[in-house]
Amino acid sequence: MRSGAFARAGAPLLAAAMLAFAPPAGATGLTGPEVRRVLQHGPWPQPVLRDPSNRASGQPDAIALGRRLFFDRRLALDGALSCAACHVPGRAFTDGRARARGRALLDRNTPSVLNVGLARWFGWDGAADSLWLQSVKPIVHPLELAADAAHVARLIRADPALACRYERAFGAARLAGADAEALLVDAGKALAAFLETLVTGRTPFDEFRDALARGDAAAAAAYPAAARRGLALFVGRGNCSFCHFGPAFTNGEFADVGVPYFVAPGRVDPGRHGGIRQLLADPRNLLGPYSDDASGAAASRTRHVALEHRNFGEFKVPGLREVARTAPYMHDGRLATLRDVVRHYSELDEDRLHADGERILRPLRLTPQESEDLVAFLESLSARAPARVIPPAGAPDECTTAEAAR
Amino acid sequence: MSGARALARRLAVPPLLALPLAAAAAEPCGARLGAGVERAESARYVVAFRPAPAPIAVGRAFALDAEVCPKRAAPRPTGLRVDAHMPEHRHGMNYRATVASAGGARYRAEGLLFHMPGRWQIVFDVEAGAEVERAVRDVPLE
Repeated sequence: MRSGAFARAGAPLLAAAMLAFAPPAGATGLTGPEVRRVLQHGPWPQPVLRDPSNRASGQPDAIALGRRLFFDRRLALDGALSCAACHVPGRAFTDGRARARGRALLDRNTPSVLNVGLARWFGWDGAADSLWLQSVKPIVHPLELAADAAHVARLIRADPALACRYERAFGAARLAGADAEALLVDAGKALAAFLETLVTGRTPFDEFRDALARGDAAAAAAYPAAARRGLALFVGRGNCSFCHFGPAFTNGEFADVGVPYFVAPGRVDPGRHGGIRQLLADPRNLLGPYSDDASGAAASRTRHVALEHRNFGEFKVPGLREVARTAPYMHDGRLATLRDVVRHYSELDEDRLHADGERILRPLRLTPQESEDLVAFLESLSARAPARVIPPAGAPDECTTAEAAR
Repeated sequence: MSGARALARRLAVPPLLALPLAAAAAEPCGARLGAGVERAESARYVVAFRPAPAPIAVGRAFALDAEVCPKRAAPRPTGLRVDAHMPEHRHGMNYRATVASAGGARYRAEGLLFHMPGRWQIVFDVEAGAEVERAVRDVPLE
């Protein structure tokens, strides 16, 4: 066995080259390895690649259709809820509640949909392997929009603005002749095309990271000292960046971090274990007939995902961009503030972890100063101005206006 | 050609028969996999492999093209299983690789994904009839 032949595996060449110009460790308070890890959290923004399983991905008319659907309460069977009712744009596309409220109190916290186009799995349990499947799920969930395919197909066909955009995105023949299930899936694909456009802005952390990359010590010095100390903990002793990895601060997978998964007395949330089982039984998954990826490559993760005992009680590792705007935290929203989250990891209850789970999870035993530093770092992951999306609010659509003028 | 003749003299076999032997001797295990081949070894086998795409990166699915080469007197391989884990973290991948024969002693493993930085180990279980022999290769991932 030759040692070290893979030593740089996965280290982007650009990052390695940038390191050569990075300010000396003493100037930033970071060690050499810490600087390398910091550089891996950028650059930002990352390009959102078109989803090969969704022919509407990146298509302007589909994006416009998805945007209208996202804010349209008529998508719900009784017209009472829209996607935006829980994914509120002014709240970083969350709702501020511990657990989401649809037609009843749901089991989980509403996750933000910002940067969702970079994800591999969707939902706290990853029960969706595509963003379009994830977009269909709340439409038909009996405790959320509670609609069905026939309802969605009727809505799209009857509304001139929706029908016009649909025709442009998916074709007139399909609008006229496809079955309701196909139109429901297309609605999911249009919603996904819109959601892919929701990318967070640059943050103070990004300015620091890029200053490090280009060796600009003066610009790096503008990053607050507390945030810098918190960052050093995050990529160092805290081991946070093992899971909160990369530019979006998530490795896209699942973890058991000692959060109880009892929903109510005698009832548990199985997390990823239930998510994989649900996914594999779902006819709309990427292995099924609705994927537009003829190569089958996009379905590789679904074909190979492993169901293990340790998946029980695992939940999605959330991205941390805009995290200061997405309280409360954890899959069931049980932690109200970022300070509570830091305290959770500082005092981690190891008895709650799987015996065969992640071995590097240990209580961090942070000092009060270190806890504040970590919070300062997490707060530096928010853009100075939050993302804004103006809902159509029934305004005439350019599509129908153009059609009428013809 | 002169090398083949010399080899034939040393092995006391006719030059024509020695040609394939010479070619085999000149070709290290996995040479046909192309550039960037890595190797894992057990007592009786060498597993040459190449990731695709290369290099392996955190969070990026990859496949492995592999060739299993028996060392002297080892039985011919009849199959290969591929897995990976992180010894320090006490867990493996969240995916189960599938392995298909690519003819002869060549295989293609698909569906691998390393979801964390750190030291991974790729584990090759070489099957030869009822026998299984393990070759392991470290992959430190930044």
